[in-house]
Amino acid sequence: MRPETADELSLVKYLLGDLPEAAQARVEDRALADADFRSALDAAEADLIDAYVRDELSAAERRAFEQRFLGSPQRRRKIAFARNLAQVAAETTAAERDFSTPLSAWQTLVGVLRGWSPALQLAATLAALLCIVGVSSIIFQNTQLRSRVAVLESQGRDFQAQKENLQRRLGDEQARAGDLAAQLQRRQTASGAQASFVASLVLLPGLTRAETRREQLVLNSSAQIAHIEIPLEARDDYPRFRAELRTLSGEEVLILGNLLKRAAPAGYLVSFDVPATVLSTGQYELTLKGLINQSVQEIGYYYFSVQKQ
Amino acid sequence: MADAARQKWSLTQEALDGLLASLAPDRDIAAERYLEMRKNLVRLFEWRGSTTPEEDADEAINRCARKIAAGVEIRDPATYSIGVARMVLLEKNRERARAARPLEEVPEPQVLPDEPAREMERGVECLRRCLAELTPDNRHLILTYYYGEKGRKIKNRKGLTELFGLPPGTLRMRALRLRERLQTCAENCLQQNDAMAL
Repeated sequence: MRPETADELSLVKYLLGDLPEAAQARVEDRALADADFRSALDAAEADLIDAYVRDELSAAERRAFEQRFLGSPQRRRKIAFARNLAQVAAETTAAERDFSTPLSAWQTLVGVLRGWSPALQLAATLAALLCIVGVSSIIFQNTQLRSRVAVLESQGRDFQAQKENLQRRLGDEQARAGDLAAQLQRRQTASGAQASFVASLVLLPGLTRAETRREQLVLNSSAQIAHIEIPLEARDDYPRFRAELRTLSGEEVLILGNLLKRAAPAGYLVSFDVPATVLSTGQYELTLKGLINQSVQEIGYYYFSVQKQ
Repeated sequence: MADAARQKWSLTQEALDGLLASLAPDRDIAAERYLEMRKNLVRLFEWRGSTTPEEDADEAINRCARKIAAGVEIRDPATYSIGVARMVLLEKNRERARAARPLEEVPEPQVLPDEPAREMERGVECLRRCLAELTPDNRHLILTYYYGEKGRKIKNRKGLTELFGLPPGTLRMRALRLRERLQTCAENCLQQNDAMAL
């Protein structure tokens, strides 16, 4: 392969791994920093691949090319494409050449015929006429066949275009539905964010620590306070209550004493607020105790998790 | 020993976060720079003939992330990653040299197996279809630009610069972009055909 310029020569040498390490690094640094230079490298690569598929490389170049190019799946795809492109380009250009060169062939033929005897010229003319009639008939049939194929191809293309159009419209509708869903989500999030200065949680007693289903308290970035409510049963008739909040590993987070029950539509409940700052993402255990005179009685254990966003 | 430790290390979320933070304070910009950095690394490994450019790029990125996680301050991770990539290449070359064997034990050089005729015909058919979608000018440009051997090719290209009134560099870029577009189109066509055949 003979590159056209010195720059191209050095790019081809780079692509074949034929430059010293420092020079290779210089080419790479420039190609990564300069999009035009990278395009020039890509163009040199395309020409090199074409030269390979046309068998224009020297033995040494071919060996270096195969070492550098055949290992990479992307480059193998480029080579396969280059083969196809070379074939199609050759077919197309050959067809154009066939149309552009008959005049010189005709002139040559006339020159030869002029040297023949009149009888031979007559015989040759008759033979030529027969050939022309035969060839014309073949060309006519061929043209008819081609036009039928062209109609079928055109119909096939129309179907394909219709299919693509429908797919594109389906894609558009799906994207629109996605947008609407995203808008709704954003609005919900926005309205949730406005109202989420206080995050609420209602706790029901858990059976054991191993119980897998737990209430979850989600604290977004605007939440300042976690409001916790614990419904009481009729037997939990104490003048005061105490809530002890711990992490599941037993680390004490907060103790609130002297809590009072208050009436709610479905009975009584104890409620209190916890600053969001004392809660971090994780699992918690809340113990509610009843205080009467000097004695303390455990009412229940409640388990929940906190998710900070 | 060091090699083994290096191979065992895998990218943690924390290390990735550190790498992204070093690329840009804004997470979205950092993500874009990360993708650009990875694309450049894949290119570099491909230029150097790596058989696994994607994996090698990830290895270079992992090493950068590990450095950052270890507290090393890297001002320009993208440039630093290129240096790391060259180290990875050097190591691979050394490993290859260590595994060198006598000539008679070396396998035959790698040669691209000939595509089965039917497979090639399918590829050519798809390419023809994609060419038919181009404008006549573009079709003429690409078929002429890439046609011919040596001298013929140079002559063709000179003719095209005159025909389209474009400088050689612009013509070259236009032909390259068309070629890339055609390759993508032909590959998509083959995939669609495969999917329809299933």
